[in-house]
Amino acid sequence: MFLRILVLSCFLSSSAYSWWGYTPGDSVDNSTQSLFGTGYHPKQPIDFNHRMHATDRKIPCEYCHSAARRSKTAGLPPLNTCMGCHKIVNTSAEPIKKMKEMFDNNEPIKWVKVHDLPDFVRFSHRVHVLAKDKDGKAVLECQSCHGQVQGMFTAEQWAPLQMGWCVDCHNNVKEPAKEGKPALTTAPVTCNTCHF
Amino acid sequence: MTERLETNVNQVSQSSRSPHYMAAEEVLPEIAEGKDSSSGKKEGEILPVDRRDFMRLFSLSAVAGAASCVRRPAEKAIAYVKQPIDQVPGVATHYASTCGSCPAGCGISVKTREGRPVKLEGNSEHPLNQGGLCALGQAEIQGLYHPERLQSPQFRDGDKWGDVTWDEALAKVIAGVKNAKKVGIFTGGATGHRHEFFEEVLKRLGSSEKELYTWEANSLYSSVSEAYRLSFGHADLPRMELSEAAFIVGVGTDFQVSGLSPVSHSKGFSQGRSVRRGRRNKFVQFESNLTLTGSTADERHVIPAGNESVVALLLVKALYENPASKGTQKFRSDVAATLQAQEAVLLNAYETIGVGRDVFDGIAQELIEKPSIVMAGSGANFDQNATLLQLAAIMANTLSGAFGKTIFFDEGWAKSPVRNGDLVRFEEAGKLDVLFVIDSDPLFSVPQSWKLGDLFSKIPLIVSIQSFPVETDRVAHVVLPGNHNLESWGDEQSIAGFWSMRQPAVRPTKNSRQAEDILLWVLASVEKNLPYQDYRAYLKKKWHAIYELIRPSIAYETFFKAVIRRGFTGKMSIRAANDVKDVQQHFRTLKAPSVGKFVLAAPLDHRLVEGRGAHLPILQEIGDALTSIAWDTWLAVNPHTAKKFGWQRNQLVSVTGPGGSVELAVYPLPGLHPDTVVIPRGNGHEDKRSTISYLNGVNPLTLVEKASDPLSGQPVTSVFPVEIKATGKWFRLAAMQKLVHDMEGRADIIKTMPMKEVLKKATHKRGLDDVPDLFPKLDEESKHRWGMSIDLDRCNGCGACMAACGIENNVPQAGREQILLGREMHWIRLDRYFRGDLNNPQVSVQPVMCQHCNHAPCEGVCPVYATTHDPEGLNAMTYNRCVGTRYCANACPYKVRRFNWWTHRWGEMGERLQDRNPRATNPDVTVRTKGVMEKCSFCLQRITDAKHNAKGQNREVRDGEVQTACQQTCPMNAIVFGNLKDPTSRVAQLRDDGRAYLMLGGAPEHDHFGLKTLPNVSYLAEVTLEEGTQEEHGHHG
Repeated sequence: MFLRILVLSCFLSSSAYSWWGYTPGDSVDNSTQSLFGTGYHPKQPIDFNHRMHATDRKIPCEYCHSAARRSKTAGLPPLNTCMGCHKIVNTSAEPIKKMKEMFDNNEPIKWVKVHDLPDFVRFSHRVHVLAKDKDGKAVLECQSCHGQVQGMFTAEQWAPLQMGWCVDCHNNVKEPAKEGKPALTTAPVTCNTCHF
Repeated sequence: MTERLETNVNQVSQSSRSPHYMAAEEVLPEIAEGKDSSSGKKEGEILPVDRRDFMRLFSLSAVAGAASCVRRPAEKAIAYVKQPIDQVPGVATHYASTCGSCPAGCGISVKTREGRPVKLEGNSEHPLNQGGLCALGQAEIQGLYHPERLQSPQFRDGDKWGDVTWDEALAKVIAGVKNAKKVGIFTGGATGHRHEFFEEVLKRLGSSEKELYTWEANSLYSSVSEAYRLSFGHADLPRMELSEAAFIVGVGTDFQVSGLSPVSHSKGFSQGRSVRRGRRNKFVQFESNLTLTGSTADERHVIPAGNESVVALLLVKALYENPASKGTQKFRSDVAATLQAQEAVLLNAYETIGVGRDVFDGIAQELIEKPSIVMAGSGANFDQNATLLQLAAIMANTLSGAFGKTIFFDEGWAKSPVRNGDLVRFEEAGKLDVLFVIDSDPLFSVPQSWKLGDLFSKIPLIVSIQSFPVETDRVAHVVLPGNHNLESWGDEQSIAGFWSMRQPAVRPTKNSRQAEDILLWVLASVEKNLPYQDYRAYLKKKWHAIYELIRPSIAYETFFKAVIRRGFTGKMSIRAANDVKDVQQHFRTLKAPSVGKFVLAAPLDHRLVEGRGAHLPILQEIGDALTSIAWDTWLAVNPHTAKKFGWQRNQLVSVTGPGGSVELAVYPLPGLHPDTVVIPRGNGHEDKRSTISYLNGVNPLTLVEKASDPLSGQPVTSVFPVEIKATGKWFRLAAMQKLVHDMEGRADIIKTMPMKEVLKKATHKRGLDDVPDLFPKLDEESKHRWGMSIDLDRCNGCGACMAACGIENNVPQAGREQILLGREMHWIRLDRYFRGDLNNPQVSVQPVMCQHCNHAPCEGVCPVYATTHDPEGLNAMTYNRCVGTRYCANACPYKVRRFNWWTHRWGEMGERLQDRNPRATNPDVTVRTKGVMEKCSFCLQRITDAKHNAKGQNREVRDGEVQTACQQTCPMNAIVFGNLKDPTSRVAQLRDDGRAYLMLGGAPEHDHFGLKTLPNVSYLAEVTLEEGTQEEHGHHG
């Protein structure tokens, strides 16, 4: 009897998390470096050098991540964007040869997602890129959330991307208090801003 | 204060107890499911998971859990190799196309994300359906991604089936076709170039174009076009403009859900039913069974089944005898002769039907005075006099002068998708060497007594090309997977001169090919090529004629592209008007209706039609609105009849007809004629083509004997005498609205308002939001307060909203067993209420979704803040916070919260087939998993999208910019959504309307405010014309 209870309790405790807690994609992945994912720096199939492209060659972020202004996702460049330059530029380099081969075989590159939000978070790049202050100036730069990617080699996660970090920023975007009225949050902080 | 309140409550409850009831058992307790019903329950009654299964699942998830404890695996981000120019990842692309679920040919807009269709919407510019789409159309997405679509061609050897490659399958087909003298094609209805193409193929193969056989289970196409051919010389359908009709008389019609063009007719009907714009049509219906269309009638007369044509003739008689009636002298004398010839039938008809002569005279008077229309017959309920009924309707409409006002046959008439008498021709065709069966299932949808199986078995080679496997495949030798509608090219010409284009919205998701392309390939292989590379090339060639007709000032290429982009084009066709021919000779075939203790009506189900929707779980799950039964077939009987014979709800009876017998459970449905019993079609698939429909319900066509309408040649499917015997067994029907006496007499759930009062009371004395309470004021800083208004005067319960909501919001299907446990997952449901006489009640259908209460009872009880209120009035549900206490569901007085007892899979839970296809889900809405509460979100993803769009353009969200999925698809325009803070918005004006009320909001005019939940959903009370009709006709119907 005792053994039975022991076995059962072990079984239940091991499965308790899974029974109630397992929802696919419910935790922000993941890094070995830190608890909050900052500094997550996975190995990519091709070593894409952000520093060289963005700093040395001065290519703007949105040249490649062209959907950021229009869509929820910033978008990864399709291979034909890469090939636009690399038909001519630096064709002898090893990664570019590899890329050309994939392009010719109509085979997409399977990048490892660095900034991976859980599936129940609905983040839209568009509103953040387009966010303006009262004078019509952009409030956010890409770097505000992604860090100094132009100084990185392959991309790594700079911000923790946890809810507290998001809400902190949303709470700080405020209109100043006026005529006895309290200061206003223009960025919404209700649950259903991101969760639906 | 408390005292006053109590007096108020008492006053209200005494003065206005609700006259409504939810089920016949409330009036006749004898017919409620008996106490002994627990014995002899069928399998599937209890939870389909036994203990061992439970433990297995449990331990399985434990393993999965152990893995998940570590870390979620890194996700891959895969970019395009070559990104299509019009695609932005994360932004939906819409393609205009044409629905293929029925031959009505509604325009659709296919929303695709990253190249895959995720949702269908009616094309709002399309003049036919004006943005609306029925449940069947909405469910096409499930048909596209259906896991049981064939993955490869199949080849039959005896009883064994085997997968073969396309080359092997085609080699077999070619060998058969090469030596064939007579090749035939059996296909479904179509109005575009499809049939013309098939004829061309047949001619090229050395066969004749007469070997093309068309078949639609909706027999209305045949009976109406045949009647118009006999009367006017063209086998076409009339175009009906219901929006112009102030008075509509239906004789056994079901035009809103299974007529000639349900969505377009619904749109027209609802436009004519706009109380606010001061025009509200009046609808009088004669019918034997209760239909959804009949449930919207202002005056409904219950007649014995099979007497529809007699009723129509009585109407003709009343019209003819009215001195103000119209028509040429010759026509009138023809009518007189027809009536004279049928005098014997009409003599005692008033007694048989149970409707007095004065009623007909009154209706005739109104038909002549007002812009009116007589709609007769439904494809659903087809008897041997069906074409005569249509002939009588043509007479009535001519006498009332409806032609040219509400019915058009010479100006933009409608095309018939079928050729009449094809089934009889097919029987007599003689020996065919090869038969192609394309997108048609005759073995299931033609009554079994026609023995089509025997005919088919004589054909040496049958090639079946179907987008989804059907029962006819059983007799086929080669089965080829055809493209789904969303993967095909095509066109429809629903109205003469008006063309609707069909384009593929996705590459074939399975290993399938378009039927037309397969035929072209076969032709090329036997060296009888047609000069087209594929069907698109064929269409492009054929569309030159349309280009010539329209003569736009642009080049043909540009024109063709523009049509594909927009989805339709056209020019009104006009032809010379013909005189009505003398049709009295045909009335010689008028047959007296069958007499028996019970007469069977076997209507097409409004969701499953004849069975074409049976494999789509969402259609099975939304259920029938009048009975709320899902996943089953039921026998609907009049409650008094049930009492008389001692039948109770869920009692299993055997029904024996001339063709066979079936066993099914009884559902007492008010509003049926005492001698009429109804078994809907659509279910009863005994061939395991789809696990969804397999052995689900029964097929009433097995009961009927072989008979056909002598004029149109269509098989008769209804009005057969049947015997019914109790078996002593029970079968619990999965009725979703199962609680009896659940209204507690409350008068504030469903409300009706007499027309007179509506005219008096334009707006409320006090606004709906003016409720005295201690809650803090609503957020004043917020620009929006989202609200919805639902017009109960328009809703007919077609279920399109439920299907649209399910597809848009990734709502899973729970299956029959879970529904029996009360665990259906619908975010929007249809509640149906009856009022008045059990034999002929007034029916109200009420869509209920989360009411988004501003003082929400669910929010206060959540221990983890998973459900909260947002400043825009939304009751937000945060899935990832939810721990599944279900307190909120208990607190919700509207019972709209749904708990995920499972991580739901595809199909029903009992089958546990496979995970849901992530490609078939809407990527903008989180897929919920086990242990989470969910409910209507007011389509928050659409609100967010509209706000972001507006922000990108530096403007505010416009009124009408946000359309919820249910509103967008509603064929009756019953739902309006918008910003309540904007006093000019439609929804804000409707909330101030005199008919507006809040569900469970008490009676504000008596200072009684109900639960004071202050929902953002308001309802507009159903309008009744009762007083008016009594005065006008002296009739209490």
